[in-house]
Amino acid sequence: MNVLALLAMAAPVESPDNGARAIAAANAGDLAAFESLMRQNERLVLVTALRLLGKLEDAQDASQEVFLRLYRNLGKIDAVENVPGWLYRVTVNVCHDMARRRPASVAVDDMPELADTGADPQQSATQAERRRALAMSLRFLSEKERAAMVLRDLEGLSTGEVARALGSSEATVRSQISKARIKVRVFMERYFRSHL
Amino acid sequence: MNCQEWEERIALYAAGDAAPREGAEIERHVAECQGCQVFWSGMKQSLVWLREAHREEIAPAHYAVVRARVMAELERGRARWWRRVWVYGLAAVVLAAVMAVVRPHAAAPPVRTTQAVVAKPADAGQGAGSRPGGLPHDRVGRRKRLPHAKAETILVKLETDNPDVVIYWIAERRGD
Repeated sequence: MNVLALLAMAAPVESPDNGARAIAAANAGDLAAFESLMRQNERLVLVTALRLLGKLEDAQDASQEVFLRLYRNLGKIDAVENVPGWLYRVTVNVCHDMARRRPASVAVDDMPELADTGADPQQSATQAERRRALAMSLRFLSEKERAAMVLRDLEGLSTGEVARALGSSEATVRSQISKARIKVRVFMERYFRSHL
Repeated sequence: MNCQEWEERIALYAAGDAAPREGAEIERHVAECQGCQVFWSGMKQSLVWLREAHREEIAPAHYAVVRARVMAELERGRARWWRRVWVYGLAAVVLAAVMAVVRPHAAAPPVRTTQAVVAKPADAGQGAGSRPGGLPHDRVGRRKRLPHAKAETILVKLETDNPDVVIYWIAERRGD
């Protein structure tokens, strides 16, 4: 037996069939299947929510709401390929609702607790400062600009996918992305000019 | 086209969002314009930083918190559902039992009313001569009665088939 065959046996196969089975099982009330579906998509939801809301606690609340909505709407999702698109759309909507309900805060001290990468302390400090500045710059964007930029530049979606998630046209998304990038660039330039 | 308009196009081109034909045009302009060269390099740098910042992973414990909360909420929802099933099931059984007990009474014959004069508080001795059937005429006649007519009080007892329901009716009779 060759190495590839061994690897194929060892790794969990995440084929569309398996995903569809997981959705069907979860829809039938199998909570273990739903938990597995949640594990596959939790990074997408929590990270997107964190970029949109800027606070880990808020992002966790938003993620919780998104997954509860997913559970309630499993019957409406016909293919496993549609799950990420659905999750992006609902995450953006939930975060927008939450941002309107809760007062906006530019709480740069509330930076998320990131996994320890074991990097050089000096380098870590610089990166932390940069993260702080980037988080702040995203706070100064409009709701739509921030969502467009997070989905396109951070999540790597195409402009078409971003447009579908935001319920806009591609032309509108391109305009929002362009404005958002310019604002972030200007903010970063000013921030580092005044802090360094 | 001024540099502000070029900046919007450069911002798209910097992350591959401009059409190829537009890209060549932008590159030509950037090569000639010093201000746009600075803008272009700053834009690329800020996008690199943005992506670097994003590469940092959130600690697994934070995902676990969300997962635990969602699963707890779903378990609670399931428990609530079962509780509702029990309550409604029990209510249905109780209702069926009540219907089974009440049904014989529902089939009982219709209530009949009987009427009898049982007493004349003003003159008990004349009670036997009173007629219950004369009462409506007496009421009509009340408006025409003479001022000297003598009033006579009668007590009517209405009995129904239900032993728990007895109606007493006190009426006044004047003249003959």
